[in-house]
Amino acid sequence: MMPDDMLTVEHLTKRFRAAETPLGGHSSMPEPPVIEDLSFTIPRGGRVTLFAPTGAGKTTLIDILTGLDRTYEGSFRLTARNPATIFQEPRLFPHMTVEENVILPAQIRRIPLTPAMCEKYERWLEVCGLTAYTRYFPYQLSGGMKQKVALMRGFVTDPDFVMMDEPFKSLDLHSKQAIIRHILEVHPNISLLFVTHALEEVPLLTQSVLLFKTNRLANYTTHDASRLDTILMEAIHG
Amino acid sequence: MSRLTRFSISVRNNLTGLALLLVAWLVLSLFFPGYILPSPGQVLRASPAVLDVAFVPHLWLTLQRMLIGFLLAFGAGSALGILAFILHLTEHLNSFMVALQVIPGAILGIILLLVLGVGDWTPIALVALLTLPTVAINIANALAKRDLSLEQYLLSAGAGRRRLVRHLYLPALIPTIQSNLSLGFGLGMKVVVLGEFIGSQDGLGYLLNVAAIRFDMQSVMAYLCVVLIISAVFEIGQSLVFSLFLTKYFYPP
Repeated sequence: MMPDDMLTVEHLTKRFRAAETPLGGHSSMPEPPVIEDLSFTIPRGGRVTLFAPTGAGKTTLIDILTGLDRTYEGSFRLTARNPATIFQEPRLFPHMTVEENVILPAQIRRIPLTPAMCEKYERWLEVCGLTAYTRYFPYQLSGGMKQKVALMRGFVTDPDFVMMDEPFKSLDLHSKQAIIRHILEVHPNISLLFVTHALEEVPLLTQSVLLFKTNRLANYTTHDASRLDTILMEAIHG
Repeated sequence: MSRLTRFSISVRNNLTGLALLLVAWLVLSLFFPGYILPSPGQVLRASPAVLDVAFVPHLWLTLQRMLIGFLLAFGAGSALGILAFILHLTEHLNSFMVALQVIPGAILGIILLLVLGVGDWTPIALVALLTLPTVAINIANALAKRDLSLEQYLLSAGAGRRRLVRHLYLPALIPTIQSNLSLGFGLGMKVVVLGEFIGSQDGLGYLLNVAAIRFDMQSVMAYLCVVLIISAVFEIGQSLVFSLFLTKYFYPP
């Protein structure tokens, strides 16, 4: 691992336990690994997309990297000072308002709410079109609005590394572009691990792509994110 | 839904429930003679004599016994439910509590009477033992059915145990605490009367027993009305507290 690497994943393998049969025994079929001998590095300030088919284990990888899943082989090293994760679903607290949800990570990490952070929050509200909704509860918001709140919550504490698991799934193209532009403008040096299977999002946000063609995270090819045509051809024809 | 709207709906539901009971009673009383089922009007006319000054100490004793038993059940049941959740013993707790619930109240009452004798502690223990399983099962199940995706979010954000309790476990418990208060109070009221019926020389249950032995159905119905009114007042009171201070934990509020 280089000293300026943000994330180093080395020979990571993940298998789920065999499903129990209806009679209580275990299936005799060995479970294939969902992640197999995966190694990659994200340098500090690097923005990397992990592009893989549905069901390839992308969310499992995020769960491992966030510490939610500890049953794996291999290792990883994350040197982030203030990491954040944005999940596929908004995961907002239903009894908290938009504002309370957004400042929750700051409260958890005891990060003081400075005027600069409040200003950042206001700017995020404008970009997401949520200025009028700060006192709303999640049940009063649409699916896209909830996802925007989750994105704001991920970025408002000024993280140095963000893992994003298909965070734009329920957003329209215009909102997606505005938010990505804002992320890059406010956090030009942020490190990102961006997980998606929507190809058009790749060059907007990241610099390089790890392209997985099989339905598990094993072998991949690395591409320049700006070469969308190459990635597309590789994804289609191998 | 505003706090006031939520509260007024609760009051309306309670009053509607009471009104429906009253109508059902009125209709049924048309088919029976007064010495079997007196009408609400007959009971109302007899009430000043039945619910006189001598009645108040009995009512006060019943309320005290019920509250002590209910608080014991609520505290111990909540603690048991939380403990079962922490120790991953929710299923075992459920089986044990269901077994406890199956014991008929009258049988348990007689056992308690033999153990504790005539007095305050038989009805108190009966309320505590019969209300505890409901409270414990509900608490353990509410914790077991917490939103795991929110728990994962909190853990990924670096939240410790205190934050998990504050932001996830307590909010998950609040609707259950309200239903436990509601169910537990109703059950407690019913059981304390049974306990006094079996093993007391005073209290509302004792008065009911005496009235029933004399086939004084006007007094029996008057006492039952008092029980119903107390339950409704408690229900409205707890609904007011939850509507004013804890509405946001009932989503959509």
